[in-house]
Amino acid sequence: MEITRREFLKSSIAATTAATVGMPLIQGAQAASEDFEADWQWDKGVCRFCGTGCGIMVATKKGRIVATKGDPDAPVNRGLNCIKGYFNGKIQYGKDRLTQPLMRMTDGKFDKKGKFTPVSWEQAFDEMERQFRKAYAEKGPAGVAVFGSGQYTIQEGYASAKLMKAGFRSNNIDPNARHCMASAVVGFIQTFGIDEPAGNYDDIEHTDTVVSWGANMAECHPILWSRVADRRLSSDDVKIVNLSTYANETSNIADTEILFKPGTDLAIWNYIAREIIKRDAVNHDFVDKHCVFATGPYDIGYGMRNTDKYAFDAEKDIMAKELEVTLTAEEAIAQRRKTGEKVKQNNTKKPVKHWLITYEDFKEALDPYTLDFVSQLAKGDPDESLDDFRAKLKLLADLYIDKGRKVVSFWTMGFNQHYRGSWINEQAYMVHLLLGKQSMPGNGAFSLTGQPSACGTAREVGTFAHRLPADMVVMNPKHRARSEQIWKLPPRTINPKVGSHITKIMRDLEDGQVKFAWVQVNNPFQATANANHWLKAAREMDNFIVVSDPYPTISAKVSDLILPSAMIFEKWGGYGNAERRTQMWREQVPPPGQARSDVWQAMEFAKRFRLKDVWGEQMVPGLEAEGFESGKLPDVLDKAREMGYSPDDTLYDVLFATPENRKFKWPDKVAKGHDNHTVKAGALDWFPEKALYQEYVQFGRGHEHDLADFDVYYRDDVRGLKWPVVDGKETEWRFNEKYDPYVKKGSGFEFYGKALKELPTGDLDKPTSKEKTSLAGKAKIFFRPYAAPPEQPDDNYDLWMCTGRVLEHWHTGTMTRRVPELHRAVPTALFYMHPKDAEDRGLKRKDVAMVESRRGKVQAVVETQGRDDPPRGYTFIAFFDEGVLVNKLVPDITCPMSKETDFKKCAVKVRKA
Amino acid sequence: MEQNARREFFIRLAQGTALAATGGLIWSALLQQQAKAMPNALRPPGALDEDDFQALCIKCGLCVRDCPYDTLRLSTAGDSVPIGTPYFLPREIPCYMCPDIPCKVACPTGALTPELTDINGARMGLAVIDIENCLSWQGLRCEICHRECPLTDTAITVEHNPRKISKHALFVPIVHSDACTGCGICEKACPTDEAAIRVVAHELVQGKIGDHYRLGWKVDTTITPDFKPYEKSGPLPVAPDASGGLDYLNEGVP
Repeated sequence: MEITRREFLKSSIAATTAATVGMPLIQGAQAASEDFEADWQWDKGVCRFCGTGCGIMVATKKGRIVATKGDPDAPVNRGLNCIKGYFNGKIQYGKDRLTQPLMRMTDGKFDKKGKFTPVSWEQAFDEMERQFRKAYAEKGPAGVAVFGSGQYTIQEGYASAKLMKAGFRSNNIDPNARHCMASAVVGFIQTFGIDEPAGNYDDIEHTDTVVSWGANMAECHPILWSRVADRRLSSDDVKIVNLSTYANETSNIADTEILFKPGTDLAIWNYIAREIIKRDAVNHDFVDKHCVFATGPYDIGYGMRNTDKYAFDAEKDIMAKELEVTLTAEEAIAQRRKTGEKVKQNNTKKPVKHWLITYEDFKEALDPYTLDFVSQLAKGDPDESLDDFRAKLKLLADLYIDKGRKVVSFWTMGFNQHYRGSWINEQAYMVHLLLGKQSMPGNGAFSLTGQPSACGTAREVGTFAHRLPADMVVMNPKHRARSEQIWKLPPRTINPKVGSHITKIMRDLEDGQVKFAWVQVNNPFQATANANHWLKAAREMDNFIVVSDPYPTISAKVSDLILPSAMIFEKWGGYGNAERRTQMWREQVPPPGQARSDVWQAMEFAKRFRLKDVWGEQMVPGLEAEGFESGKLPDVLDKAREMGYSPDDTLYDVLFATPENRKFKWPDKVAKGHDNHTVKAGALDWFPEKALYQEYVQFGRGHEHDLADFDVYYRDDVRGLKWPVVDGKETEWRFNEKYDPYVKKGSGFEFYGKALKELPTGDLDKPTSKEKTSLAGKAKIFFRPYAAPPEQPDDNYDLWMCTGRVLEHWHTGTMTRRVPELHRAVPTALFYMHPKDAEDRGLKRKDVAMVESRRGKVQAVVETQGRDDPPRGYTFIAFFDEGVLVNKLVPDITCPMSKETDFKKCAVKVRKA
Repeated sequence: MEQNARREFFIRLAQGTALAATGGLIWSALLQQQAKAMPNALRPPGALDEDDFQALCIKCGLCVRDCPYDTLRLSTAGDSVPIGTPYFLPREIPCYMCPDIPCKVACPTGALTPELTDINGARMGLAVIDIENCLSWQGLRCEICHRECPLTDTAITVEHNPRKISKHALFVPIVHSDACTGCGICEKACPTDEAAIRVVAHELVQGKIGDHYRLGWKVDTTITPDFKPYEKSGPLPVAPDASGGLDYLNEGVP
């Protein structure tokens, strides 16, 4: 990339002249480089980082990425990038890029206690196969697991999910996206019966009011936020509200900033709903036609282990709440019970069950959520007056209710990473549906995603422990049958028992239930809460952990085998962003050394297993499903024979190199000359990324998830398409007759999602009849009460701590911390606290503090000014920095419905280190 | 004539200082000053890069002598510019951009390059605006710099932005480095007590976007229709630093 002096001089006469007349070198260099760029080859791509999904253009020369630019034709970003996106061209060139497999060895043999030593791919797969077979023989499909990703390409996620679910008959594959948007998914499925947002980013330009809840969009969705800011600047009638537990960059352009106490967002939504009813602002026409009312149990626990057998002593008091909770005074009011009442958590196994209630019941349930009650409960900043806070809540309700106003509610991790994350997602829809402000341009509750393909891969492909492609689930016999049909599997091959969610896979490693785990495209040992347990489990239990990654990460460090992976533009792939936009790219450069794509890795591993190894009878403890013997998966080899398979066929033959897939030949003119190292390394005559994609799209077509053909996304004039793509047309707003071809003509709106659309009826406490009513075409308006966070500051751990992101770094920093410029800008995660709190603890700005929770401690540099400004009693720290492993502190409390961890609420004590 | 005589005097004075210093005790002090001199003097039009300029300038003072506006001066002891070299202070006298560039014509060594034939191609420095104290940026209708600029609407343009706190638009002057000659007429004309627009050496203020990035809307590109992949199996795109990675990986659990 450096322009050498010689090249500079010979580049052009114009540039030379410019330099000699005293033109600064910068301009001279620019002129020179324009000429220098003549042989660059450009292609379209997608930003590697967040869920916004900005389009970029990538330039390559001699097998190296030489530059990128924001794609001016991409509707998401119109040529712009944030400062992470600016460095897309540099992330693959870190000095410690992994270029060969590394295994823990002593004396030339694998040794769990050995040192990492370079090995060949052959050796790596040999040991991996041996370890997998050992675990599979001992524990069956439940004894092996994959840590998947919301950063998988569509094809990688599909290959891994198919290998696990169809090949190994294990549902123990779960992505880091579980930590990111599982609560959003539960909210979507429960409310609409189908996943993902109704609207799209153009809502920003259509709306008058943007309410950001528990999201720091300014830093975490920077390019979307600049669209919001532009909208705000266009008119003073446009209003922006930022609801957060601490002041952040998103407050900078907000008209109103509402700082609330953690968890009280549940009460604020109910206050707004109560106001809607009180002010007679319910859109009865919309609600009567398109909605029903529902509720569910409150005693659902907090997603912790139900035993403290593995707990540190200090965390036992919090873990006891998984079994029984003593209601606080506020909870008693909010849940119509008595203060101090002890409530056994009886519904931890079935937290998602719910039933229909009447509008009258719904109204009654909201009754306690008066402005008086909610403002006293929710005020977060001790230095703000109650009157000011009340006025802000009232203003918030005014903005939502104003008939002349369009409203978009955006949220991300503040909602999703919440001990009642699914409830709070549902509450957002509650308010939008009551007002009829949903699924139309500029009106809607809009769940943003964090990762580049949390939607496109993790959710749509279904790389979760309970999912199959296109919103299907393993528990549903029809869904299994349909998947088995498309995948050409014998009936009852797919395991009906939900696998372990990502945090449970960690727990399974700790208690010895999982003996083999493969980490793909993520860094779970840095990113999973309560990390001390898992770091220890990885190293001290009898297990084998494989990490596929381009760089040495914390997860690689505690693994047994490291496989070097190709990065984004070193392979073919596709991502799907938060507005349902699917975007694809070609391989631009070869991966360095022996690094290989994750698709190649999955296929090579599949070659090691034959049908007879996996499709015989398998023990699955706890499996109970109709048509299955208790605790067993049946032998399906006979059926397989009938279907023309041989027991000696490999999983590669049966799952990947199928006769249909091999019809997608390589080379293919869609490549326009671009290479495919997956094809080369596997010596293939077919095009796996295209074949797998074309196989995958069969799941969604005609089932509300239609994707276009592979080649369409590669057309020069296409910059991604928002699904469902029907008759070549993308869908702008779903569930709205004007835009969505799936909506019945004449209905106006139809919430056609099919999941959970048969419900019993009941009162506020329980279902009262078993008889089920069909809710086809309708959305549910849930009543969900306020519940207190299970861990709150006390005399000992006396401060709230919230974790999150900064603009400069992506997730655990494995890529962005290798960009020298980004590392220079933000070298370490700072511990933001209120100056008074710091002073009270004898701390000054830039002092090193010891931050300690019930689960661990870390040292961090104190900051009392700057981008984040917590009120007294609150602190914030980002999780990107492996030097400050803040997830050692955070409890593994999850939303019991979504199993998504609450990374936002941890009680800590802080002293000078 | 009288003016010329006065200038000759000052030139000789400056040269004399340099000469006198060779024999005196202050020699070492002067050397220190030379070493510390900031590379930020505004040089006459056509001056080469500072290093090349200093190497070629023989401190003859001919450019100063031929400057019709007394803009140019030779540095003396105490100036933060190497002694005896020509420079100018625009707030006092800016460069008026003579079309025939007499200073350059007078230069005997090419320190002021003969290749500069159009004065608009000169890059003596770059005007920068202190937007906190620029009256135009506050909303006052000043924009003197814009109107006085010899390359107005090229080197300085005015952008109209909404002014949030009233019904009036802001008229904000913006300097463009691809056209600004660094003449300093704006700095001279700026009506604030201390100039809110000043000419500064490029290297003191000008940043540079990474070579790895292009602004999407400025650089036009099309998708290469017949891509040629890198065929060579030669050296890896990155020299793998496997040992560094290995040390880290083998150092133990965090």
